[in-house]
Amino acid sequence: MPSLISPAERDYILKGIDCNIRADGRQRPDYREVILETGVISQTSGSARIRLAGGTDVLVSVKADIGPVLVDPETGEGADKGQIICNVECAPSASQQFEGRGADELNNELTQMMTRFLSHNTTSLSTSSTSSTPASNSNGAGGINLIPKTEVQDLGDGNFDFEVLDDAEDTEVVEGREDMPICVTLNKIGARHIVDASPLEELCTEAKLVVAVNRSGELCGLQKGQDGGIEPSLLLEMIQFGKTLGQTLIKQLDAKIKAEADADMIKRQNGQPVVKLGFFAQ
Amino acid sequence: MSRAELLSPEGLRIDGRRPAELRKITSTTCVLSQADGSAYLEHGNTKVLAAVYGPREARHRALVLHDRAILNVELNVAPFSTGERRRRSKNDKRLLEMASFVKQTFEPVVIATLYPRSQIDIYLQVIQHDGGTLQACINATTMALIDAGIAMTDYVCACTAGWVEREAAIDLNYIEESSDTSEVTIAMLPKSSKITLTQMESRLHVDKLEEVFRLAGEGCKQMYEVMDKTIRDRAEDLARKMAV
Repeated sequence: MPSLISPAERDYILKGIDCNIRADGRQRPDYREVILETGVISQTSGSARIRLAGGTDVLVSVKADIGPVLVDPETGEGADKGQIICNVECAPSASQQFEGRGADELNNELTQMMTRFLSHNTTSLSTSSTSSTPASNSNGAGGINLIPKTEVQDLGDGNFDFEVLDDAEDTEVVEGREDMPICVTLNKIGARHIVDASPLEELCTEAKLVVAVNRSGELCGLQKGQDGGIEPSLLLEMIQFGKTLGQTLIKQLDAKIKAEADADMIKRQNGQPVVKLGFFAQ
Repeated sequence: MSRAELLSPEGLRIDGRRPAELRKITSTTCVLSQADGSAYLEHGNTKVLAAVYGPREARHRALVLHDRAILNVELNVAPFSTGERRRRSKNDKRLLEMASFVKQTFEPVVIATLYPRSQIDIYLQVIQHDGGTLQACINATTMALIDAGIAMTDYVCACTAGWVEREAAIDLNYIEESSDTSEVTIAMLPKSSKITLTQMESRLHVDKLEEVFRLAGEGCKQMYEVMDKTIRDRAEDLARKMAV
């Protein structure tokens, strides 16, 4: 992963973006090809591996555990809700800069952001006395594009007397997952903004804006990063743009997940084993 | 201690294997685009990803050796890898110990004198844990080092064996490992049959040791065949692509 950029390269990227053409032939609002597979880790309640062609590679797992919940001592609120604990880790195998304590700052930032985006927007995400505990492991190799793969949560059902059914077939999809937000990162380069920045484009970025939206188009979170500023008029435009893009992205991911689930279902019905490629996918 | 029957009356183990049977091993190399060499390995449900960077300039000047390269091993365990979610800190003693085992195993095998004043980084990521993490880490590292084209005198193949109830068994899974079974991990150079690592947990009667060692050695040879096949297939595939 490069950490330096020459003035000529910077100029090339800047002028290119101004003309709506990027180094890899994409236009400003284009994503790289997204490869998605769910259910890659059998020991978890739900997992996904998402890759952006040749770049970022993220493995996410969700584990549902029985655990203590936060109950308001006065009102008694929260007793029927679970809690979400997030954890983001950037592995040193992804980039040299994540070695040793190098990733701590980034891990912290992403973990906090995920916690904020997820736990405050998922009030309906609750199964009685079951607290869901997502754990994510990000191998951010290229641009940091967090797409919380929260759509793939599959929670084992737990009822009031802590009797967790120990049957892989007898599970239900967690309630409220439709409301989970999705993140879109917009990078402001020059006077324009792009999505899904490559590592080099990230080095030219003045300011970064993370927009979290849910299916119904409600804004669930905002975070500005990097040292540059964004003009108020541009900010509104970027938020609006992020919102529309996020909603399209949710639809596309839904279609992908559904197609995969359908294919698995057909295989099961025909008695064929469902083989997950995981890391064997090239 | 009450525990489940680890060996059935028919002599089958808890996951249906015979005592001298390995779990299914699947592996592939070249899984990461950024690393100089990488490998992904599954021993049954244990899944490990290894990445090798280098030989490259050493990060810390003080560590540089003038006549050879230094090895640096970092081991990470994903919080979701075990049955119960638990986050381990990077300075967990158990992890540091494992990383140091991997380092000691490879130091005599990598021909470090070919790369003076440089550093070879090995990053290991345990994605799923079901017993035999150390053996999986060592085997994945071997493949990643080969993928990176780093000179080694031989493969390093690791295998665990232990005494399960009344018989010696190889490649213990998590349930067998955690029920007070004595367990030995050995790493072997398959061509010269030299052992570069032995590590034992719990106690074992000395009379049984030889049998356990013999089984582990056989396991190593089987591992070698599987790993060698993956490497050769990969090389053939590359050669074919280059010829076109």
